[in-house]
Amino acid sequence: MTILYHSGTFFIGIGLLFFLSGTVGLIRFPDIYTRLHALTKADNIGLGFVVCGLSLQSGNWAVIVKLLLIWLLVLIASSASCHLIASSGMEKKIKPWTRP
Amino acid sequence: MGNDSCSSTSTAWKILGRRIFFRLLIFSFLWYALAGSDKASWLLGVPAVLLVTAMSLWLASSSSLNIHLLAVFRFIPFFLHQSLRGGIDVMHRALSFQQLLDPGLVFYTTLLAEGSARILFVNCISLLPGTLSAELKGDQVTIHTLDQGMPVWANIQRLEYHVAALIGRTTGNKKSL
Amino acid sequence: MSWLHIFFALILLPAVAVGMIRILKGPTAADRMMTAQLFGTCGVAILLLLGAGMANPVLIDIALVFALLSALSTLTFVRRTWQPGKKKHDDPLS
Repeated sequence: MTILYHSGTFFIGIGLLFFLSGTVGLIRFPDIYTRLHALTKADNIGLGFVVCGLSLQSGNWAVIVKLLLIWLLVLIASSASCHLIASSGMEKKIKPWTRP
Repeated sequence: MGNDSCSSTSTAWKILGRRIFFRLLIFSFLWYALAGSDKASWLLGVPAVLLVTAMSLWLASSSSLNIHLLAVFRFIPFFLHQSLRGGIDVMHRALSFQQLLDPGLVFYTTLLAEGSARILFVNCISLLPGTLSAELKGDQVTIHTLDQGMPVWANIQRLEYHVAALIGRTTGNKKSL
Repeated sequence: MSWLHIFFALILLPAVAVGMIRILKGPTAADRMMTAQLFGTCGVAILLLLGAGMANPVLIDIALVFALLSALSTLTFVRRTWQPGKKKHDDPLS
């Protein structure tokens, strides 16, 4: 029980690291495409780790299924909106930043 | 002749039966997950599940998908591993003191059939390490990559292989979901 | 009441707050919308952590609705605000 709880805490901690680095990427990266990379990947993995950690701690199957459903929903939604924003950007002829 | 048409209608019924069965199963499971184990909730749940099953059959009547269950179990670990690598890659680039970005565009022509397979492919590209699907026109996918030194093509081809194994498009008679 | 989870949720708050810089700096509307997306994902995580910390399972349902709404908002933004009156036939999501 306590092992599960502590490993859950560990997972949540890793998830938070991903969230923070996603925000750093959103601020630091030079154009909308690179920022989309940071936002989509880091936040999805971060939420995945948080969901995993909470599932390990909860021990209730109904809650675990619901948590996984939320993650799946966020995955689908964010990858679809990521593609939408990127393709609209391409259509508006926003040039990707390249290394000078 | 008559015998032949009879057997084809019976397989059509079998396909429809399978589709209805799987949808009922999935939507009942979803209701159970969302509403909890309270039995009274099924007063609303049973009509809702039936309605949603009918609606999804109606909306997706033209497309007949063939999802291979075994491939699902190979796809999920592949997907999780790749998106974990993608997350670590982005984290590394975001937090390092140097500027590690060398972005560029890659053009790829997919062999996947139009419809669900292609949509799944394009959505998964954005979760792979270093790639982001920027545009889809027909079978031409424009991919934005964070680093042109990465093996973008190899990654994409592996993803395409997995998606193709997952979703086979059928023209009619095979079992479908 | 689990203080650990509430502490975790508090760590996520600066992640959201720093994202505000992107709203101020822009430069395009899409950059600002991306911060809204960040709020969506971080908001879901914060709600889940609070739900565990305060032992209140209702918050999980709120997180579910939050996830649904943030997806819808991005879709609406791209379709209606960033590209008003545009319809594409080859777009799989239209």
